[in-house]
Amino acid sequence: MNKLYLGGIIFTALMLILTYLSVGGSKGGLNDDIVNVLAVTGAIALVIITVFVVIKYVRQMQVDTASGELADENWDGIGEFKNSVPTGWAVMFLLTMVWGMWYFTIGYPVNAYSQIGEYNEDVAAHNAKFEVKYKDITGDKLVEMGESVFLAECKVCHGLSADGIDGKAANLNIRMDEASVKAVIENGSNNQLIGFEMPMPDRNGLMNANTGYAPITDAEIDIVSAYVANGFSGKGADIFAGTCASCHGEDGRGVEGLSPNVREFDIALVNNVLTHGKKGIIGVMPKFDRLNDKQKEAVGAYIVNISK
Amino acid sequence: MFHWLEKHPFFFAVGVFVTIAFAGLVEILPNFAQASRPVIGTAPYSTLELAGRHVYIKNSCNACHSQLVRPFKSETDRYGHYSLSGEYAYDRPFLWGSKRTGPDLMRVGNYRTTDWHENHMKDPASVVPGSIMPAYKWMFANKADIDTAFAEQLTVAQYFSVPYNEPVPMRDGSKKIVKMGASIAEANELALQEAKLIAADMRDQDVKDAVARGEIPEIVALIAYMNSLK
Repeated sequence: MNKLYLGGIIFTALMLILTYLSVGGSKGGLNDDIVNVLAVTGAIALVIITVFVVIKYVRQMQVDTASGELADENWDGIGEFKNSVPTGWAVMFLLTMVWGMWYFTIGYPVNAYSQIGEYNEDVAAHNAKFEVKYKDITGDKLVEMGESVFLAECKVCHGLSADGIDGKAANLNIRMDEASVKAVIENGSNNQLIGFEMPMPDRNGLMNANTGYAPITDAEIDIVSAYVANGFSGKGADIFAGTCASCHGEDGRGVEGLSPNVREFDIALVNNVLTHGKKGIIGVMPKFDRLNDKQKEAVGAYIVNISK
Repeated sequence: MFHWLEKHPFFFAVGVFVTIAFAGLVEILPNFAQASRPVIGTAPYSTLELAGRHVYIKNSCNACHSQLVRPFKSETDRYGHYSLSGEYAYDRPFLWGSKRTGPDLMRVGNYRTTDWHENHMKDPASVVPGSIMPAYKWMFANKADIDTAFAEQLTVAQYFSVPYNEPVPMRDGSKKIVKMGASIAEANELALQEAKLIAADMRDQDVKDAVARGEIPEIVALIAYMNSLK
């Protein structure tokens, strides 16, 4: 037994005793806590390994002789032995290469973080939750949802109370004002209000059955515009029946696949405006197809509700 | 060879540099080229839109308004699809902005229209109650600088190969051709044609009269630019 080893063993024992005194002797000690036990075990292992590895190399310096084949390179008299590659190191090196190939082809591409990926997951999760939560929403709840969507998306143009802010946008508290009706009769319309293009002719294509299918006159336009704008009251019912009813129906509530409801708002009408946008006498309304179907339905319900 | 390299540190250093630089180029360049290429649906700015962009920059709109939609649900709900780098291919300089005192304008053309902008620029609080945005009334009187916009078009067409007068693919599969005049006179004529379309949707009689006289107020150019942001 070399005195170096003896010193090492004594030093190790001393360290272990110190560890025991500081940990085991203190109040509570290891306390049966797995983290404490692991930490102390690690400390002990570290002490032992360090001491004996140091001893190995100090010993080697003491007894080793320069033997083996020297490499060709020589830097100011300092040479290098040609040592064979240590097996453990070589194995680790090869394993690292294999891991590298895995990481390059699968590890990184499959598991990498992507901001867009996180966004897509967020959206999918939200949509699924929305779908379930609001699947059967009806009545007042639907109107409430419509109001919240309206306040987020529509109020900027139509105003908080949907009155169109002094003619800056359509007043949604009424189906149409007189000027709008008049403009549509005079210029025709092609706004996909029934979900697809279905042109309404301008005034030259509108005949009044009551006057022997003569083109509609200025006076008739004024009267029927007021009639429609005032909620189908006052005079003008005969002109509407003779000219407009053939497409828009006797009661003006529209005909499926042919004409929109001109008497009052309905959900399908609002839905089509939100999907396709619209151009009226005030200006252009952009489409809001980023709203989902339920939200469009809700906005429709809200507008039907406020325009009653 | 490795023994030789070990004995010649200078050439060893050169070899290391070349190897790492090559690896870097292979990694970076293709991605960078792909990301900076215009995405389908991104078209160059027309003369009038470019003049409007200059108005936007001149009035420092980008100090309060960003043009970058981040990929968060809360943002895409409000502003539309998140921004892609290729969408800025024709922005020189880009106007991402760094602070949102007002809302993002990256896709404002999708959900605001000419008449709304007109009301809003004249008196923001009239359409957005409580808005702190100042009115920009002088834009209705000042004339847009079409000549400078044309100069920029000429420059970017020549030096950055911006595809003017060439078909550009759009999202719906169609091709769009953004025209650039061959001369200043023609550029002014093209801008005026575009301005007439905008002015037709506006209410302000002074602006309509100015456009009818062949002048282009700044507001018309700015609205053309706003409408092009999609």
